[in-house]
Amino acid sequence: MASAIDQTRRMLSLVTYLRERNGAYLSDVARAFGVTEDELISDLDVLPMCGTSFRGGDLLDIDTDGERIWFRNPESTGTGEPLRLAADEATALLVAARAVATLPGLRPGDRQALLRATAKLEAAAGESAAASSSLSVTFESEGGVFAEVDRAISERRRLWLRYYSPSRDELTEREIDPIRLFTVGHTYVEAWCRLSEARRTFRLDRVAAIRILDAPADPPPVELRDLSEGIVQPAAEDPEVVIEVGPGGRWVAEYYPHDSAEELPDGGLRISLRAPDPASLRRLALRLGRDGRIVSPADLAESARDAAVKALAAYDA
Amino acid sequence: MAIAKAERLMCLALCLLGTARPLSKRELRTSIEAYVEAFGPGRGTAFGSDTSGEDAFNRMFERDKDDLRELGLVIDTVEGLDGEPGYLARRDHNRLPPVTLDAEEAAALGVAAKVWQQARLAGAASGALQKLRAAGMPLAGAADGPENGAAEQVSALEPRIPVREAAFEPLMLACRDRRPVVFPYRKANAARPEERHVEPWQLECWRGHWYLVGHDRGRDAERVFRLSRITGRVRHRGRGFTAEVPDRVTVRETVERWAGESADRSALIRLRTGAGYPLRARAYGSRESVLPGWDELEIPYGHGLDAWLVEFGPDVVVLEPAELRADVIDRLRAVAKG
Repeated sequence: MASAIDQTRRMLSLVTYLRERNGAYLSDVARAFGVTEDELISDLDVLPMCGTSFRGGDLLDIDTDGERIWFRNPESTGTGEPLRLAADEATALLVAARAVATLPGLRPGDRQALLRATAKLEAAAGESAAASSSLSVTFESEGGVFAEVDRAISERRRLWLRYYSPSRDELTEREIDPIRLFTVGHTYVEAWCRLSEARRTFRLDRVAAIRILDAPADPPPVELRDLSEGIVQPAAEDPEVVIEVGPGGRWVAEYYPHDSAEELPDGGLRISLRAPDPASLRRLALRLGRDGRIVSPADLAESARDAAVKALAAYDA
Repeated sequence: MAIAKAERLMCLALCLLGTARPLSKRELRTSIEAYVEAFGPGRGTAFGSDTSGEDAFNRMFERDKDDLRELGLVIDTVEGLDGEPGYLARRDHNRLPPVTLDAEEAAALGVAAKVWQQARLAGAASGALQKLRAAGMPLAGAADGPENGAAEQVSALEPRIPVREAAFEPLMLACRDRRPVVFPYRKANAARPEERHVEPWQLECWRGHWYLVGHDRGRDAERVFRLSRITGRVRHRGRGFTAEVPDRVTVRETVERWAGESADRSALIRLRTGAGYPLRARAYGSRESVLPGWDELEIPYGHGLDAWLVEFGPDVVVLEPAELRADVIDRLRAVAKG
């Protein structure tokens, strides 16, 4: 549900936009404003109630026949010039544009377009642009790998990868049909993996080698995941793992999606999470050292202990 | 049903933008239906003889003006002849300067506008695009179907800036408005949170996590805070900064140091053949070990290397330096004890 502020902002721009384009098509306007037609229609329901009525019933006369939009008294809004950007608006767009422009591997043409747009926007925003210096975002990406994946997606070609799996500490070779590239801190390619016959997400900094194949990509239709839900989305049927950490291991709750994190009296946490393959958490158990331990499953705790004992043997310790 | 807030704000904006002379509060109150409906036409005079309805109207009017200012409207307050303030949004103060963006630039900004996963900034980014659209920014040719759309599409990329931390929005506003804040903060290894008084300078997102850099009043020094470790509400505390804001702040260097990304020494390890690809990828050099099935690698040695090496269990043996060897043995013993 959009806020009243967002709707007001949109309606002010709509009035300016429609003044210049009387009879515009509903579908075109919705697309230009990045809203659904239903959202646009709800704006069009409100606009005829708005105006400067102190001058005597001077309301906006805007209506639609369901296909086109008519603005019958554009002279009622004074000049209706485009409005200056607010500090938050300039910040939101400038910070994002600067972040994307610095992404390693971006096509040079796109980078140039972003830099040109950023410079024009800074000039147009004037002092509203100042606040944007208090926010900054860095995206991580492997430039060479990024460019290859980007090209494979636009040419719809299959990719060959040598990929590192941290949970098994091994490199595997596989062919993938890339679907999309996305960046959330790190950059990932979502793809149909021909090795596992399933949709998989690969982090670009774990790609040890990449090659574009001649074969066309042919991913089966898959529904794209909602990225706001997080990259790792454990399934309800995945086995449960319980970990107890001391204050020094609280970072686990920051890095691992979990079902619950219960405060312990010593300032630690009892974290319950689900993992499709609990064995993959052996690394975590080893890393935690004295800052935490696996409570269950027992065989996972045992395998971490076992690995530590074997490792110690090499030191004669 | 009460008249929707968006309608009320829109009417107020149109009144303020449409007038050439300052309008008094009374004029605005009687012109805008939502105010009349909520508070009556208002018989109050300049000497304020009205009742509590007047106060409620005044509060709503002030909030509405603040909301419009958030949208970028510059509202001037002008003292009238009768001493009563009048309000107007002058055209020359509210006009977007001419800006001409070509289709490529428009498409690039279209990608940038979708980056925020935070309601306030996502709304602001769409709002900025809409203002630019109203000012004539062209639309990328997505309507011509996916085939043609792809030609104008920016790199097949969906960048997203995640913002899961509740402290983000109040800190963003505090940085913008230069307002000192106080918040409970739990350091990485601390059992309990502690109140920190901070003059916030800048927020930075690195590897998907947000950090704040600012002047810590309690410690009288620059400090970096990770937003996910702020355990409660961020509150404003007083006005104005006391410490000078540096021209350049270095959140990233500080965080990289914590993360062990900057190494000043090197270490020698023995690694089982085929294991530990990430260690190999960053090694300064490697050779086969005299022990069959093992390699020897020289790798960068920074903060946190001991914890990382332990993850590889029996596939890594630290040879040098002795200090790192001791740290790794210490950690392994803790795990072996269970």
